[in-house]
Amino acid sequence: MTSNILKFIYKNKILEIKNPDTNETILNYVRTKLKKTGTKEGCAEGGCGACSVVIGELEENNIKYKAINSCISFLPSLEGKQLILVEDLINNGELHPVQKAMVNYHGSQCGFCTPGFVMSLFAMYKNYSSYKEEVIKDSIQGNLCRCTGYRPIVEAAKSLNKDKKRDFFAKDKKNTLKLLKKIKNRSIKIIDNNKKYFAPKFVNELNKILRSEPNSKLISGGTDVSLIVTKELKDLNSLIYLNSIDELNYIKENNKFIEVGASTPLIKFESFIKKYFPDFSEVLKRYGSVQIRNVCTIAGNIATASPIGDTLPLLLALDSQIIVKGQNKTQILPINGFFTNYRKTKLKKGQFIHSIRIPFLKQNIFKAYKISKRIDDDISSVCASFNIEINKDKIKKIKIAYGGMSNTPKRAFNCEKVLVNSNLSYKTISKAKKLLEKDFKPITDTRATQKYRMEVAKNLLEKCFLEVKQKKNIRING
Amino acid sequence: MDNINTTIIEQIRPHESGIKHVSGYAKYIDDIVEPKGTLHGAIGYSKRAHAIITKLDLKDVSKSEGVISVVTSKDIPGRNDVGAVYDGDPIFTKKVEYFGQPLFAVAATTTELARKAVLKAKITYKTLKPVVDVREALKKKLFVLKGKKIKRGNPIKKIKKSKNYIKGSFELGSQEHFYLEGQIAFVIPQEDNDFKVYSSTQHPSETQQIIAKMLNQKNNTIHVDVRRIGGGFGGKETQSFIFAAICTLLSKKTKRPIKLRMDRDDDILITGKRHNFYSDYEVGFNDKGIIEGVKIKLLSRCGISPDLSGAINGRALLHIDNAYYLSNIQVENYLCKTNTSSSTAFRGFGGNQGMMIIENIIDNVAKYLSKDSAEVRKLNFYQKNKKNITHYGMKIKDNVINEIFNKLIKSSDYKKRRLKIKKFNSKNKYLKKGIAITPVKFGISFTTTHLNQAGALVHIYYADGSVHVSTGAIEMGQGTYTKIAQLVSNELGLNFNKIKVSSTRTDKIPNTSASAASTTTDLNGAAAINAVNKIKKNLALFVKKKYKLNSDKAIYKNGMIKFKGKTFSFNSLVKEAYLNRISLSSSGFYSTPKIFFNNKTFKGRPFLYFCYGAAVSEVLIDTLTGENKILRTDILHDHGRAINPAIEKGQIEGGFVQGAGWLTIEEVKWKLNGELTTHSPSTYKIPAVNDMPEQLIVKNFRNLNKENVVNKSKTTGEPPLMLGMSVFFAIKDAISSTRNYQVIPNLNAPATPEAILLSINDIKKKYEK
Repeated sequence: MTSNILKFIYKNKILEIKNPDTNETILNYVRTKLKKTGTKEGCAEGGCGACSVVIGELEENNIKYKAINSCISFLPSLEGKQLILVEDLINNGELHPVQKAMVNYHGSQCGFCTPGFVMSLFAMYKNYSSYKEEVIKDSIQGNLCRCTGYRPIVEAAKSLNKDKKRDFFAKDKKNTLKLLKKIKNRSIKIIDNNKKYFAPKFVNELNKILRSEPNSKLISGGTDVSLIVTKELKDLNSLIYLNSIDELNYIKENNKFIEVGASTPLIKFESFIKKYFPDFSEVLKRYGSVQIRNVCTIAGNIATASPIGDTLPLLLALDSQIIVKGQNKTQILPINGFFTNYRKTKLKKGQFIHSIRIPFLKQNIFKAYKISKRIDDDISSVCASFNIEINKDKIKKIKIAYGGMSNTPKRAFNCEKVLVNSNLSYKTISKAKKLLEKDFKPITDTRATQKYRMEVAKNLLEKCFLEVKQKKNIRING
Repeated sequence: MDNINTTIIEQIRPHESGIKHVSGYAKYIDDIVEPKGTLHGAIGYSKRAHAIITKLDLKDVSKSEGVISVVTSKDIPGRNDVGAVYDGDPIFTKKVEYFGQPLFAVAATTTELARKAVLKAKITYKTLKPVVDVREALKKKLFVLKGKKIKRGNPIKKIKKSKNYIKGSFELGSQEHFYLEGQIAFVIPQEDNDFKVYSSTQHPSETQQIIAKMLNQKNNTIHVDVRRIGGGFGGKETQSFIFAAICTLLSKKTKRPIKLRMDRDDDILITGKRHNFYSDYEVGFNDKGIIEGVKIKLLSRCGISPDLSGAINGRALLHIDNAYYLSNIQVENYLCKTNTSSSTAFRGFGGNQGMMIIENIIDNVAKYLSKDSAEVRKLNFYQKNKKNITHYGMKIKDNVINEIFNKLIKSSDYKKRRLKIKKFNSKNKYLKKGIAITPVKFGISFTTTHLNQAGALVHIYYADGSVHVSTGAIEMGQGTYTKIAQLVSNELGLNFNKIKVSSTRTDKIPNTSASAASTTTDLNGAAAINAVNKIKKNLALFVKKKYKLNSDKAIYKNGMIKFKGKTFSFNSLVKEAYLNRISLSSSGFYSTPKIFFNNKTFKGRPFLYFCYGAAVSEVLIDTLTGENKILRTDILHDHGRAINPAIEKGQIEGGFVQGAGWLTIEEVKWKLNGELTTHSPSTYKIPAVNDMPEQLIVKNFRNLNKENVVNKSKTTGEPPLMLGMSVFFAIKDAISSTRNYQVIPNLNAPATPEAILLSINDIKKKYEK
């Protein structure tokens, strides 16, 4: 393990930082140390996209460009990567095609959110060969603009379809790849005063670190953990960064289950799962912005154990298993029962989530719904998921789970019981709806009232069976 | 304006800072290079909504790492208040009136250390019961100002006599500005106790005055400088003052430069938002749907202090007619005091709330009569030659709402689509569509007449003929710098790139009005033209005299100046003029003509002109969840002869989306104890890209401003916000289809999924028993 030196590529050079502050965000570093002030702070919680920067990552002899929120990413997470800022898109005084399009299509008004949009669009420009409306909107759903109403920005992005797509990053690619290879495969350890930071490359390293530093906080996307620094203004004294472990960045499948490694970014899983459970993919699209899905993981969502964690009711309904390692043993725990209390799990000190197994249910009907005030990047008021084995109108097996209805995401056992082995009838559904009141006692908070939550939970159950019966979705989005 | 140079004026050109915006080189205050020794501020605020501070122990704050100085009310030599018109907004309060009210501030070596230090304060409160609910404030007679009662005709008698009658209540939610650049100030001390103040504000002159009063110093010791702000929307008209004031106070005490940059959550907690409005109404109308009498009780949440609430409620009263002739109307207005941050200016400035209230009434009238609301709206419109006097006695001379409405109904295919929607709804039990068209008539001018003035300063440099323009206009994204530069380049017949509009500074342009009320370019553009004309006059007199010409008239075009009998290149003439000691610099001034208003009688001509527009929106709702989306919006808007059509279009679209956000997803919420719970992008949702209509068709209504406004244009600042009303009423239309349009849904704004489902269930309960 390399100590106290961080290496990343900036402007085609390897930049070395000695003794970096492990609690410093990339945003703060860029603005105050690199003195590049194009990247803006809008919210310091990953909710507005003004701070978006692009990270270049080595992926099988290719560079994968990812827009991320620099306000909730800590500086050491740059290790082994390429950092691209809005100022860096200019080459020899000439604007990048993305920047030109934004100017020509009047994509900026007050201009404060603009650098973030430019970076999101730049990542899109690099990662796709054509830019359909869906791709464009997905790419910028994590960037808030209060001035334009978005139309000119979408138009600017569409105009890129006419571009030749040979920017200077493409021309420099060979060189960048060479540099990325030069600094890859470094596990790092930074110990600075009282603060420790580890970014292991391998699972056995992670095991070792956890043994000696069992009180460390594990971090992947950091949507929750980073806010301890940026919002609660506290120090994180020991951090272990998981996204550096390539061994855990995988999706594999056999005929029984799909297995997802703990550091697999959601965005990767989202495109994989589409063919098996399209609703899972749909919920992931609305889980958070591209910036969030680029770095966040299912394991992180599970470990956070929030009652409104969006993948959790889905994983519950799918009867997933969590593979937990650490403390010299491997446990396979059912997700049902894994959440013990509000933001508490069965995970013990020194343990970590290694991977998640989702059983294949080829005959089953799987449905998931996320209800929130805003379509994009919002926290759900209620999230519901249904996994049904049905035979000619008769329910053979059913698993139902809800988020936002209790202090943890939870199965609706009473409701399930009345449905199993019964026929799909209006009467059964009514009974089942009523039983949700026995399963859940939701609360009123800033997102929704208790009453609305219960009402929607019931209606989603009804909607699910309506859709099953009519063999088509009844939703505002197609 | 016979020399309009069509290549410059009415020209689509990018924002003057567009290239800098996209490349990260546009400097906002936080991007200014900090002089050595710059300190960073943070504000300590109340965690109670209503309390007396019995002890404020800041010992641990002072001792905290990196802290250089702590300031409290005791450090203020002068006025401890930032209220613009009235007192009531203390800089540091002793008696707490809302959750988030500033109590003290610190300066430390970094922002992080300053913010950490603030948390170490030990504050003892004697908690009092807060009043959070507006109706409770009314009951307890808690007001920030005395409200007006306005009346025309005899509405009570008319309502009694009318064949049809509805009575109801309607509520409109608040709205957080959510400018992307948070509140920030940066102050650099100068010699003689002067201060250079960079503030993200819409109102530099008031900032200057408030700081001068706080420090007991002369106004000429405070220089405020604003190059651009990252969005304002009214949220930096007065709400920026407290940050600029505290920042200057810290600078005065430490004698060092101070930057005070607010964290997003703190920003939202401390600053005021849009006024919630509550109305109880009674309306009488005939069988056609013509309103014969209307009586409205209008309450607004003003928060703890008057701030701009008087003018905002005034504008609500002035727009309670929207585009409708109301022969008999009575409104009682109450400005309720609540233990919430002081409600403030927000695009529309009460006008939009007033308009929503009458739109809701008219929509209900149509639903009551089972008529197409478009028809009922049309029947009630102001007419050209009769029914053309507003309830405040102003004759409307520029009315084009009938034309706009008819044109849009046609171009949007409203009637056919409405039938199609009805068909869709009869076939679909769970998903319902709705459609609505709503008009906008919005009055332009500050309703406080004396604010309708502006200054400018124009220099021509003889060496290369380049032009420097300063005005009182704040560039906040609305493109006013671009438009002013276009106006000046047109007047001088020069290329756009020869004109530079520089930052807005109180030492260049004194006594500016806020960049607000949609008037910024109208006023400041005219002042800049006035300055240019004075220089042109100097040149003309010089040329006439020197070359013995008969006429001093000249045409400025393509870099040439053409007199009858003599033509110069611009550069050569200004050089010649300089050598002959002719001034190439001038100030300019503009004050809006024709306007007057008597606040006591509520009569007069408060507006120079009106902006008109209309929008048709079609929505889809899910009756099981309340989820919804905008399928299509068609807009037809009158911006007169635009200076820059692209900028106007941007304002129209952005305004529409912001207005739709206000009425649908944006929800400001307080706990019963007065704590705001929606203070970050995770809890407060402004529209994101998928909230824009799937199809958005924006067209301009070809028109010239009848009044002599720059380029015969009409402003686009605020009016397009109200186009968002169409979305709300389309949702209401969809809801009423659940009972085959035979019902008036009870729906308040914002129409969140929850509000929509509640409204649907309401109907179910009422009719399905």
